[in-house]
Amino acid sequence: MPPRAGLTRRTILQTAAAAATAPVVIRPASAAADPIKVGMPLALTGPVGSVGGQLRRACEFWAKQVNAKGGLLGGRPIQLLIEDTGGNPATTVRKAQEMVERDGVRLLTAIAASNEALATVPKLAEWDAIFVSGDNGDGRLTGESLVPNFFRPNVSGPMGTRTVALWLRDSSLKSFYALGMDYAWGHNSIDVFKDEVKKAGRNFIGDVYSPMGTKDFSTYITKIRQSGADAVYLVLSGDDYNAFLSQAKQYRLGDKVTMLTELVDEMVLQATGDASLGLVGGSRYPNTLDNPQNKAFVAAWKAEYGREPYMFEGDQYQSCVVMQAGIEKAGSIEAAKLRAALEGLTVNSIKGPITIRACDHQAEQPGFVVKVEKDETGKPVPKVIATYPAAKVTPPCNKMTYND
Amino acid sequence: MDLLPFLVTQCLNAFSQAALLFFLGVGLTLIFGIMRIVNFAHGTFYMLGAFVGYTTVRITGSFWLALVVAPLVAGSIGAAFELGLLRRLYRRDASAFLMVTFGLTLVLEEVIRLTWGVQALQVEVPDLFAGIVFLFDEPFPVYRLFLAGAGVVVAIAIWQFLERTRLGLLIRATSQNSEMVHALGVDVNMVRSGIFGIGCGLAALGGVLAAPLVTASLGMAANAIIDAFVIVIIGGMGSFLGSLIAAVLVAFVQVFGNYYFPDFALAAMYLLMLLVLVIRPGGLLGKEA
Repeated sequence: MPPRAGLTRRTILQTAAAAATAPVVIRPASAAADPIKVGMPLALTGPVGSVGGQLRRACEFWAKQVNAKGGLLGGRPIQLLIEDTGGNPATTVRKAQEMVERDGVRLLTAIAASNEALATVPKLAEWDAIFVSGDNGDGRLTGESLVPNFFRPNVSGPMGTRTVALWLRDSSLKSFYALGMDYAWGHNSIDVFKDEVKKAGRNFIGDVYSPMGTKDFSTYITKIRQSGADAVYLVLSGDDYNAFLSQAKQYRLGDKVTMLTELVDEMVLQATGDASLGLVGGSRYPNTLDNPQNKAFVAAWKAEYGREPYMFEGDQYQSCVVMQAGIEKAGSIEAAKLRAALEGLTVNSIKGPITIRACDHQAEQPGFVVKVEKDETGKPVPKVIATYPAAKVTPPCNKMTYND
Repeated sequence: MDLLPFLVTQCLNAFSQAALLFFLGVGLTLIFGIMRIVNFAHGTFYMLGAFVGYTTVRITGSFWLALVVAPLVAGSIGAAFELGLLRRLYRRDASAFLMVTFGLTLVLEEVIRLTWGVQALQVEVPDLFAGIVFLFDEPFPVYRLFLAGAGVVVAIAIWQFLERTRLGLLIRATSQNSEMVHALGVDVNMVRSGIFGIGCGLAALGGVLAAPLVTASLGMAANAIIDAFVIVIIGGMGSFLGSLIAAVLVAFVQVFGNYYFPDFALAAMYLLMLLVLVIRPGGLLGKEA
């Protein structure tokens, strides 16, 4: 079909353009010492391109901060090697391999999509490289697919779902309806949610699935309203999500029904403005956290980019800080030394103290539930309404599921 | 919800969607009727309308001005494209038009991406229509009523334009026998440029009106072009009245189909098209294909 051909051609052009300008190198003028190279083979184009853009910005921000203070390990500056993968796992592995062989990279981060990360981790031992995830959610990475050189300081997918489930049990909501996009992700997420509703002893009324690319949500809004449910769980993304929220606002759906979602991403807030008000969901990193490290981070970020950091930017930044703490503790970037330093390491970063477990390299950290509300300037922002301790949010070692 | 309020609100929903589909379809069908070419870039002009509308609202704060500016911008680009490129291809076969209008979608999409970025952009409903009315105690957005009304107004305006004005007369004459019109001393090429511009402008008008419902985003074009083709095929290629009837039919089938048979939501529109094509291969009001 012609529109597809258009997409492919565009992707090729973008990849070619990216290849021509890559690798992007940040070199402080004062640096004389041998730089610490950090490889970032990540999707800057394609479906996860917008997430990739957030990860890149966070790493660039961190590198600039570190280099401004004179680098690490006695004056070695951070040098980022950034290449676009277009979201293709085979390309990711090839680019990472090039970085390792050609540039001598021993540190990797910010590989955007989970399938790219899953394709990369089996090669880490051969490359003698450490990969510190910044956003990869797939539970298997710290479960059945765990390798010794992989670390996950960020929140995983199962931890995100768990956080929303814990909130459900505490909430006064009694009955639920669900609207999902009609493909694997929509159906899977709603199945998991259904289970959680039952475990919480609440009533699941029904679900409906809209085809990808739905523009008119009026009938779905009617169905949600007719169901009489207190809350509707939304598994929508991209244009469909924006269209639903815009129209739900026009029908005043939020007056009667609480809108729940897995992750509240600032991209949606930006696109739908006031229509996102009242939305409740998990957040990997809400930029409104009240602690000194986060306040300093947000202030510095605003000075650099003129706005607050987004969710994936915050989580990736935390991963960079964890990597930095590991390097400083190990006094080296050699995989064996860095691995030993990272295992069991506690870092006090923007989400407060978090600990990298030695058993499966997952960071134990709190889970946040946010609600979109207006800030003092009238702009919609995610405000934290519930925080769950790390012990409840983090799954048992090497597991993707919870005992209760 | 009782049956009566349900029927009333769903019918109004359907008419508001019909209006959007009509804006999309009528431009394409007018262009086809006159020029015998399939304008693949039609969805892109619809998208362009939404983005230009966003910027106009941003700068001037007026949604009404956006309803004028966006069709003018898109119409001018369309007319210029016809003058500069399409005109040279009239001796070629249909595939040349498909290629060059498809090329235009690639260029325009890239221009839009570079100008407005990849983020979806929100266009607020104008204050006058931001409220709700209660129909049998069911809240209903005023903006949707406005959309349905706008559809009726534009349909009547186009009809009167085609029936009552000299240009409308020329357009109808050209679509029936362009050689004869040419022989009578009319600059048929100007009629063609004009109609291409008007068609693109109508698509852009639809884009501005749809933006408060779906946000202005890069995914709009691919989505819209399929709907536009379906409307044109059901209504009959080149038939103004056909596109109006088709838009209403498709909207009703979608709204009620989604409600009663949500599992077939995607198929409803195509099933309708299939049915029409089996009964009347040329479309409802089209000449036999």
